[in-house]
Amino acid sequence: MKIDITEHNGAKVFSLSGDIDLYSSPALRKELIFFIGKKVPLLLVDFRDVSYIDSSGIATLVEGLRGMMSHGGKLKLFGIPERIVEIFAFSKLDKVFDICGSLDDAVKD
Amino acid sequence: MVVKIPSHPKYLCIVREVTAKVGHIHGIGEDLVEQLKLAVDEACANVIKYAYGGDARKRIVIRYKVDRGWFEVVIEDSGVKADPEAIMGRRLEEVRPGGLGVHFIKRCFDIFEFDGKKKNGNRLRLVRYLKEKDEDRYNGA
Repeated sequence: MKIDITEHNGAKVFSLSGDIDLYSSPALRKELIFFIGKKVPLLLVDFRDVSYIDSSGIATLVEGLRGMMSHGGKLKLFGIPERIVEIFAFSKLDKVFDICGSLDDAVKD
Repeated sequence: MVVKIPSHPKYLCIVREVTAKVGHIHGIGEDLVEQLKLAVDEACANVIKYAYGGDARKRIVIRYKVDRGWFEVVIEDSGVKADPEAIMGRRLEEVRPGGLGVHFIKRCFDIFEFDGKKKNGNRLRLVRYLKEKDEDRYNGA
């Protein structure tokens, strides 16, 4: 997994690519914790190039969501491939996360 | 078919690739292949986390057996014995990190059982029936 971190209209954008699994999710967790510590108001996770996610990747995002909410920030996901949306839906997390179609949708409140 | 990997998370991608290839070779549809890949990955990740407690120097053996009616995966380790009674995921309604892996395994596989006869370590047998009518055939095989 590769993580590119950029800014878009004041939001931090995490562009992920590749597989998010037990091996790679600690790197994502580290970055999320760093920006949660900085109390960024909006963190967007770009899933367009994510090919796979397992339970450790989902757990990392749940932890990130909770961390963001703890200081009143928001974490949104966008561009999730259909196969991965299905995993979120099965886990009943599609209603917990703010899942958007595109970056433009995600920056809108 | 047998795959042996060190118990380091970086090798899980190999398990996923092999699982998908075995599925494709046997003509299994893409949606089910994705589920099998995730479930076998989660089962091996559990071995790394729980049976081996994160020790990356151990070994995991994964055996695949596929017939027209079923897809069987047997995963063996030499780690701490699992307590089948204690293995249950979190309630899906409960929003917290962790506890999802076992749900991914059980939604995919019809049989999820530990071989109680194995003296040291664990032998987890996972079976997915590919056609409903083949359940009896598998049991008689």
